[in-house]
Amino acid sequence: MSQTISAQVQLRPQIERSRPDFVMIGIIAVLTALGLLMILSTSGPRLEAEGSVRASQMIRQSTFVVLGVVTFFVATILSDRQWRLLTPWVYAVTLALLALVLGIGELIGGAQRWIPLGLFNLQPSEVAKPAVILGLAALLAGAVEGQVKWSRIFKAFALVGVPAILIFLQPDLGTMLVFGFVTVVMLFAAGTDVRQIVILGLVAIAALIIAIEADLLAEYQVDRLTGFLSPGEQTLSINYNQIQSQIAIGGGGMFGQGLFEGTQTNLAFVPAQTTDFIFTAVAEQLGFAGAATVIALYSVLVLRLLIIASTARDRFGRLVASGMAAMIAFHVFVNIGMTVGLLPVTGLPLPFLSFGGSFYISTLFGLGVAHSIWIHRSRIPLGAVPGRAV
Amino acid sequence: MNFGWRLVAIGTLVAGLFGILVLRLWYLQVTEVEASLEVAFEQRIRVVEIEAPRGDIFDNKGKELLAGTVATLRVVVDRKLIAFEEEEFLIQNLSALLAIPASEIRREFETRGPGGRFPLGDQITQSTGISVLENIEDFPGVTIEPVPFRIYPLLETAAHIVGYVGSPNDDDLERTDIDINDQVGKFGIEGSYDRLLRGTPGQIIYRVNAKGEILGVLEERPPKPGGSVITTIDLDVQRFVEDTLISGVLLARQEETARREEEQSARREEEQSIFRGAAVVIDVTDGSIIAMASVPAFDPSIFSDGRLSQDEWQGLAEKAVFNNFAIQGLFPPGSSFKVIVNALARQRRISPVLEAEYEEIVDQVADPTAFFSDGELLFPNTPPLNDWKDGGHGLVDLSESLAQSVNSYYWSIALRIWRQRDVDWPENLLQDFARRLSFGHRTGIDLPFEQPGLVPDREWFQFNQQNQTGLVRKEGGWSGGDLMNIATGQGALSVTPLQMAVAYAALVNGGTVWEPRVVDSVRDAENNLLFTNVPSAADKIDFRPGLVDELKADLNRVVNSETGTAKKAFEGFCDDDVPDDECAALQEVGGKTGTAEIRQATDRVEAIDTAWFVGAAPLSDPRWVVAVVIDQGGSGGRVAAPTARRIFQFLMGENPDPVRAGSESER
Repeated sequence: MSQTISAQVQLRPQIERSRPDFVMIGIIAVLTALGLLMILSTSGPRLEAEGSVRASQMIRQSTFVVLGVVTFFVATILSDRQWRLLTPWVYAVTLALLALVLGIGELIGGAQRWIPLGLFNLQPSEVAKPAVILGLAALLAGAVEGQVKWSRIFKAFALVGVPAILIFLQPDLGTMLVFGFVTVVMLFAAGTDVRQIVILGLVAIAALIIAIEADLLAEYQVDRLTGFLSPGEQTLSINYNQIQSQIAIGGGGMFGQGLFEGTQTNLAFVPAQTTDFIFTAVAEQLGFAGAATVIALYSVLVLRLLIIASTARDRFGRLVASGMAAMIAFHVFVNIGMTVGLLPVTGLPLPFLSFGGSFYISTLFGLGVAHSIWIHRSRIPLGAVPGRAV
Repeated sequence: MNFGWRLVAIGTLVAGLFGILVLRLWYLQVTEVEASLEVAFEQRIRVVEIEAPRGDIFDNKGKELLAGTVATLRVVVDRKLIAFEEEEFLIQNLSALLAIPASEIRREFETRGPGGRFPLGDQITQSTGISVLENIEDFPGVTIEPVPFRIYPLLETAAHIVGYVGSPNDDDLERTDIDINDQVGKFGIEGSYDRLLRGTPGQIIYRVNAKGEILGVLEERPPKPGGSVITTIDLDVQRFVEDTLISGVLLARQEETARREEEQSARREEEQSIFRGAAVVIDVTDGSIIAMASVPAFDPSIFSDGRLSQDEWQGLAEKAVFNNFAIQGLFPPGSSFKVIVNALARQRRISPVLEAEYEEIVDQVADPTAFFSDGELLFPNTPPLNDWKDGGHGLVDLSESLAQSVNSYYWSIALRIWRQRDVDWPENLLQDFARRLSFGHRTGIDLPFEQPGLVPDREWFQFNQQNQTGLVRKEGGWSGGDLMNIATGQGALSVTPLQMAVAYAALVNGGTVWEPRVVDSVRDAENNLLFTNVPSAADKIDFRPGLVDELKADLNRVVNSETGTAKKAFEGFCDDDVPDDECAALQEVGGKTGTAEIRQATDRVEAIDTAWFVGAAPLSDPRWVVAVVIDQGGSGGRVAAPTARRIFQFLMGENPDPVRAGSESER
């Protein structure tokens, strides 16, 4: 059996194997550029009216882009093996940052999600996303396909749970949902039995109900969820945002109102349009054609990450890539689902497009690691040769 | 290949989720695009209504302005453009600018409601407006705009006809074309022709952003000005009638004061009752009102700026200045009603019932209308009824009964009607005739608040007796005595001066009962006709041939025969050097005095009779009927007839004499 398989495998020269993933880089570049344009188009009129420089917010985002690109290449230069070794440190630093932000928040007496670094404000909860993915990958890499023990699953929960609790104290509901989704996908990718996942799902639902009943969630978080269930009630200001967003998106039509021409976004009817609702500007200005193209680009990116996962040379690599695919897909689905009125407002940014440094940089960090995995991929697909599994 | 299927599963899940997003986008952007665009458009615009200038009101020649609209520069507050926390700051600044107490402005803000847009304060000067615009940061949401303002250049002249405008009440607000910031016609022509006068408001559609800040003008639809009303009022006659009526009322007041001094009345001056009067000049050929005056009058401008205080209004309302007595005043007509009975007697050849002792005397003259008045009418079971002239009027016929205003004659006519009821004619013969002549119901004049008056009959009497309204006696039924009261214009009979004018007009024009009108037509800004008020007859009575001429001759005798009750009042109708029998104009005037007894007087106010004169001219080809009533004026011949005489002199081109007392008639 193994004889026939190895005979089928075509060995390729080293140089070809380590060629960068131009498709992934290309998509990141296109979406980043689109993000900068959209930030300019949505923030420009307001800034001009205030007497500031029209492009100032876009320029600010550009600095994050530069930092992100540097991070991407640093992450790519280190090999996947090195990253696996660094994972405990990454995880530890993240926990330290999360604890620090709570401390600072305590000091200034209010909810605090970021650490001021001068150039930009670091949001540890965003950094925590790739860190948790790395941590989970390292933990679950040791499991055997189809035989993930409950003890390992509980260890995984403990690994996610510590930062999750720290984030919950901030509080940041969106990030916790990301953790949940990514954990489930990574457990699945790691070979957890489907029955185990079903049981976990039931437990999660029970936990959520208890949390709401026990008033563990802040009132506005409950409002977002329940307000979403009665969308007709325009009076709820929480619904106002989404209704405005849908009106603007609807107004885009098939081909949009043209770049910089979105009436609703230009006139500031849509709130938070450079961050959470940036997709609204895309859909209004570029229409269904543009919006669907953006979703297609994300799809290809997710596909690339899944291909990286399938070609990774070890389980750590394939789990990191699957985790990143899950993270990107979840952000895209929840964010766009929110702007089109399918999902409640949770405050998750749209990768590459939303204004903000921490998430952009940490996303590129995660993708950089994934890219490193691609560079160091195996010629022979994982699991094809018995005994190669690590 | 276990791992492979897991990645495929993840990929499928992601593809499914993204697929849902694409479907949703298709629904929003392709299926529902129209609805979204519409909602989006409505959000991005702000519609501001522009008040249409109200149409003008002109005299019958379309030249003299009775009511008009001018643009005044005003401070306009738009609460939609004011942040809530800025309002107090704005109120304080406006208070300082306009010198209006802040509390008053605050109250105005509350009345107009959030989002209200309204002018505040009086007209401002150009320089005040500029200083507001220069310091606009102190006046958020304020604009300086020309706002239409109603003016009444003639002040009190024709005020009761023109009417006034004011803020809408709850009933007005039910109309779809009225909103809380509008001015609405309340009274007079302003009230009855409000819909044609108000025009169509214009609109400015602004582009706004999410904060409601105006970015530019999208569309501007100018307002359509209201139609201009051409009235039937001859302003020369109107002014003259008003002046003359005031003279008449003043004459009545002098007479009253003199009488009191004579009687050494203990009443002090301030306890004097308020004198009221009304006069109507109607065109008998088409029912047009040529002049209509009511005393006391008011200046309609006091309502335009909406600043008349409740107390001020109350004070004026107590003086009844807002009542148009020509159509709203109900008076017993007294002897002036005898003309109606006279016409009916001629039409149906009704002869008076004679007292037995005089039958022989009367038979000698072989005139079925002959009657002997000894000053006292005696009937079984009733106290004697007295003529106003002591000792009676002697032998009179139908014509002379009118000239001398012989009460007993008309009582006897009524008695005849009563006795022959249900035999020769229905019981309500007289009432039905009166109703055909416009009494007891509204004449249909195109002015609001017209009173119907009352022509009493058995049905009315029984209704009030059963319901114990206090208007009729508790015991006994409707009787001949009640009908006799009507025949002399007394009792419960009540009429408006306009009804009197319409009835006389019908009697002298050959039977056409006109629906009177004060508006001839309404035209738009391009002079196109919007509405024509075609003269319309409410009824046409077929009079016996010769009746109208006989009646006109009788009316002339009242003013022009030695026995006539208005003889003294009409003396010297022509210029001083022309004797009455050579005065051609005097042959062309006729009318009837009336002195209606007021039976019930309050403790404070002494009962003083209502003085009437209703007449027509020129008798050979009648054009005008003039009705004059002076409330508490005393004798009709003494006060009302001289007032009417002066009006007739003016109408017929004679030199008008001052109003001076005529003879005391009919007590």
